[in-house]
Parts: sequence; structure tokens; C-alpha cells
Amino acid sequence: MIPLMAWRNTWRNPTRSWVVIIAIAMGIWAAMFMTGFATGMSRSYIENAIQNLLSHVQLHHPEYLKNKSVAYYIPNLEQVQNDLQNDENVKAFTTRSLVNGMIASGNYTSGVMIRGIDPEQEKTVTTISDKLIDGSYFETKKKNPVLISKKLAKKLKAKLRSKLVLTFQDLEGTITAGAFRVVGIFESGNGPFDEGNVFVKRSDINRLLIPKSDSTLVNNAVAHEVAIMLHDTEQMDAFTTQVSNKKTELKVENYRELAPDLQLYESQIQNVSLIYLVIIMLALVFGIINTMLMAVLERVKELGMLMAIGMNKGKVFFMIVFETLMLSLIGAPLGLLLGSLTIQYLGSQGLDLSAFSNSLQMYGLSEQVYFDLEPVVYYQVPIAIIITTLIAAIYPALKAIRLRPIEAIRKI
Amino acid sequence: MITTKGITKIYNPNKIAVHALNGVDVTIAAGEFTAIVGPSGSGKTTLLNIIGGLDRPTDGEVKIGPTNIAELNDNQLIDFRKENIGFVFQAYNLIPVLTAKENVEFVMLLQGRSKTERDERVHELLQAVGLEEKINKRPAELSGGQQQRVAVARALAPKPKFILADEPTANLDSKSTANLLDLMLELNQKENVTFIFSTHDQRVIDRARRVITLVDGKIASDVTKA
Repeated sequence: MIPLMAWRNTWRNPTRSWVVIIAIAMGIWAAMFMTGFATGMSRSYIENAIQNLLSHVQLHHPEYLKNKSVAYYIPNLEQVQNDLQNDENVKAFTTRSLVNGMIASGNYTSGVMIRGIDPEQEKTVTTISDKLIDGSYFETKKKNPVLISKKLAKKLKAKLRSKLVLTFQDLEGTITAGAFRVVGIFESGNGPFDEGNVFVKRSDINRLLIPKSDSTLVNNAVAHEVAIMLHDTEQMDAFTTQVSNKKTELKVENYRELAPDLQLYESQIQNVSLIYLVIIMLALVFGIINTMLMAVLERVKELGMLMAIGMNKGKVFFMIVFETLMLSLIGAPLGLLLGSLTIQYLGSQGLDLSAFSNSLQMYGLSEQVYFDLEPVVYYQVPIAIIITTLIAAIYPALKAIRLRPIEAIRKI
Repeated sequence: MITTKGITKIYNPNKIAVHALNGVDVTIAAGEFTAIVGPSGSGKTTLLNIIGGLDRPTDGEVKIGPTNIAELNDNQLIDFRKENIGFVFQAYNLIPVLTAKENVEFVMLLQGRSKTERDERVHELLQAVGLEEKINKRPAELSGGQQQRVAVARALAPKPKFILADEPTANLDSKSTANLLDLMLELNQKENVTFIFSTHDQRVIDRARRVITLVDGKIASDVTKA
């Protein structure tokens, strides 16, 4: 009978109940929207980093990451490549020669990371070939082609077919330089990356890196980085450990280790979701308290009468809590449904933020944010709502049971 | 048997003290049909509230059977009222969200009576008060007289030792008043339930078998009709 009474009491003032129900639904929707947006943004940042550059796992000479010296190239590269080709976890991999150097046009000079890539292999690991906005992706027979970003091109005042000079130290530490011709201009969507990186063919850069006097090194044997994409990211940690154990002469790191900011981003997604939830629930608590307090205060005489005829305080308390719970039991599914539909739609269509593209690019974020939600959020939200409702119900329920029947009804 | 001994009730004892009752001794036996009458401010409602366990006396004792209800705490009092006392209020008497049937069975439900027992009793009482066809109507769909009859049925449903009714006819027209009094008298005789009224209504006073008159918080007269 108490749940039935609570249910009917909920609908004594339908307008007021619907206002609270809609507030609860909108609260849940807002929490899901904000969390979906934050998660989508973080994922986009992480995926951009993985696809533009990092890949899932990278191999280096143990000393290379400490001082980025070209002398620390990967030992036994051919053997490493053979092993990776035979590893069923590996979806694709590519080798890179990485050289810190200067790029100069007639107008401007800038420090850059020269990335010597195997164009066809690189395509299977990163998306740089898709980011060209002008020119072609090394589809030229011309000697020493280079890809530069739109941003760098602007600084260098360079365009397609412009000649640029790359200067760097070779393996012996001697300054060497080579003339390269711009064959493509890219825009990755990550401003800092675009400004600081150029792409050349690994064979071209290796030709300049390996001193002519060194007859023992073949061109193909030099690479400072092997970037690996896996079939299943769930296997990433196991794969990293396995290769580390097998290739003790190499430093094996996954993207979380290579870019701790990404790990921070990933770990903060859930915290962000919790913070949004707490803020929204706090606002809801006061709304619910206000409504339920009104519901109690306008029924003082009735509640007094119920206690007079034998309804004990526990049952009165439970009835008020139940009435409050009813509101969230209707509002929560509505909010969840609305939130899920929004996440589903914006997860597939994305939210166009191109109006803020300049600012977003500065932080390596995409213009199009595809919303995403951790499955945990779908039960985190209803649990939070139920807890919020119960907390909000306490004060009005206490107010109800503190009524003395005689004062409530004044007289029998 | 209801016995009060030296009941006093002082409101605002620390400020401007109002003596509502001044040593009221009264004994009401089972099966009585008693009216407590008196001018406004004479203390009749206070006496009824104290007998019903809704208020506590400043001094004195109220015994219902062997229990001194002045010694019970709030929760014990609620349970005591649930098991022993039926109330008919002047207004706000029914639970607006429940139907006539649900209102009548409400206290029995609190007592934990079985569904069969409840159903039987509800039908029996609603038939007795002539409202069996209104069983599924909510209070808002009933007239004042009908509501008061449902209230009487609800008060009787858990088979209490006595029923306290505060001016039960105050909001009723003459016909409804006569019908309600007939009904209460019939149930008083049939179920041997004690009825105690506080009232100004001469029609109720005329039908009562015992009339206790209060003046200034004291019993001025106590007349049992032949």
C-alpha cells in the first residue's frame, strides 16, 4: 500500500512532478553529453597521436630516446623486421630514420625533426598520406622529395616544387646537408606537430646520414624507430612485455609510455565524468529537496492524520523517500534514453567544431569530435541519480516524521 | 474501560499559562455512546486528544484498559492508537489518493491483517454504511456525508476498543447528520464499540446516551440518560 500511495501522491501535482522528472532527465542527459564530449575529445586526441605518429608500440635503441643522437640506430634491424613480419599480433609496422636538423628556404630557417620514412610501409601505420592537401605522397621520380606542412610552408614561404635545404649531423657527427624539393603539403590537424616535422624518404636521408667512408653499413640497415600497429590494443601491454623480454637490446614502449600525457588523458576521462556527475547531481539535490519539501509542507494535516490513525514514523519516512524515488525512476530512464540517442548520433555523425579549428589544432585536437562513452557511465549515472535522490529525500522525510500529529491536525 | 485521573493540561506553562483542563476524572465503560459538550475553550477537544493519545497531559493519568498511555513514547503511542482507537475527524479525514475500499482497509493493512480478512471486513462495513457501490471511488468523488460514512467504516475496520469523533457532523446537512448518527448508533449496538464525541451539535447531544459537560477545563455535569 505504501508504494501505491507514494506513486499516487507523485501524481497529485503532475506539473510539479514533471518539472522534477524533466530536471532529472536533463541532468542525466547533460552529464552524458559532457562526459561523451570529453571522452570523444580525449579519444580523438589519443587517436590522432597514435595515427599521426606514435602507433601502438615503438622500438628504439635504448640510448636514442635519452639524447636523440643519430648514432643510436636500431641494431640488427633486418632481424627485427623479420620477427615482426612473423608475429601474428602485428597488424603493420614501419621503420623510420629520425634526424634533428634545420630546414631552410631562401627566406626562413627552422628547427625540425626530419622523419625518413618508407612511404608504402608508413601508409599502413599512420595516416600522414591522407593528410596531404596539396601535391602528392612521394609519387615522384624526382630526387630527394620532402613533405612539409602547410604551416611550415607558410613560414618558409615555400610551395610545391620549392627547393629546401636540410642540414643535420651524420652518423660520424659531421654536419651534412642536402637539397630537397617539396612534393607535398600536409595538414595533420595537430599544429605543434605540423610545425616541427617534415617527411622524406628513409633511403634519401640514410644516404646522407651514412658517411661515404663507411662501407660496412648498407642504406637499409639504419633506422632509429620501428613503429608498430597491433590488431588488438587490448594485447598492447602483453605484446610490449613479450618483445621487451625477447629483444633486450631494444627499448620497447607503448604509446602510454612514450607519451605520458596520453595516459593522463585516458585516466582522466573517468574522473572528468565523475566531476560532471557530482556537479549536476548537486544541483539536482537542491531541486528535489525543494520540491519534496513543498509536497510535505502542503500535506502537513494529512501526514498528521496518517500518524494519528497508526501509520508509524518509519512508514511515513519510507513513503516520502519512495515518492522521491518515483521521480528519479521515471526521470532516469528518460535521461538515459535521451543521452544514449544523443551519444549514438554524435558518435556516428560527430560534432563539427571547425569554427574553432585554429585553437583546436594548437592542442592537437580534431575539428570533428565523435562522442563516446565508457560503458561504465551507463550504470554510474543511474546509481548516482538514485543516491542523489535518496540524499535529497532525507530532509523532507525527516521533516515529515518530526511532525506531531496533534500539531499537524490541530485537533482530532 | 477508559479512566482518567486528575488530568490537567497547561499550555505555554513558561509564558502565559493557559489551563485547558483542571483535574478531570472520568470513567467511560465499554459500549458507551458518550458526548463531551461545552462552550468553545472549555477543554473538550483537549480531553479527547489526551484520551486518544494525540496529546499528553501535564499531570494525571489516562488508562485505557490496564495501559497508562501517558507513559508511552511516540512510537508506542502510534502503535497503541493503531490497535485500540478509531478516529473520525471533522475534516481531512480520508486519504485522498486512496479509494473508499483502500481507505477502509488502510489501518488493517498497517496491522498486518490478511487480504481475505481485510476484504471481508471492507465489504461488510461498506455495506453497513450503505456505500458498497462506491467502493472504488476516491474521496473527491464522494459527498461530505459519504466521506464521513467511509471515515466511520475506516475507524471501525480494525475493530478498535473505542472511537473518538471530533464534531463529526459539523460539516454535514441535517439528512446526512441523521443518517450518520443512525449508522453510528447501529454499529455501537451491533459491534459493541464505544463512541466518544466532542460536539456542539444538539442533534448529536440528543442521541447520546451520556453527556459530559465541560466548563473551564472541569466537568460541570455528567448525565447518563435513562
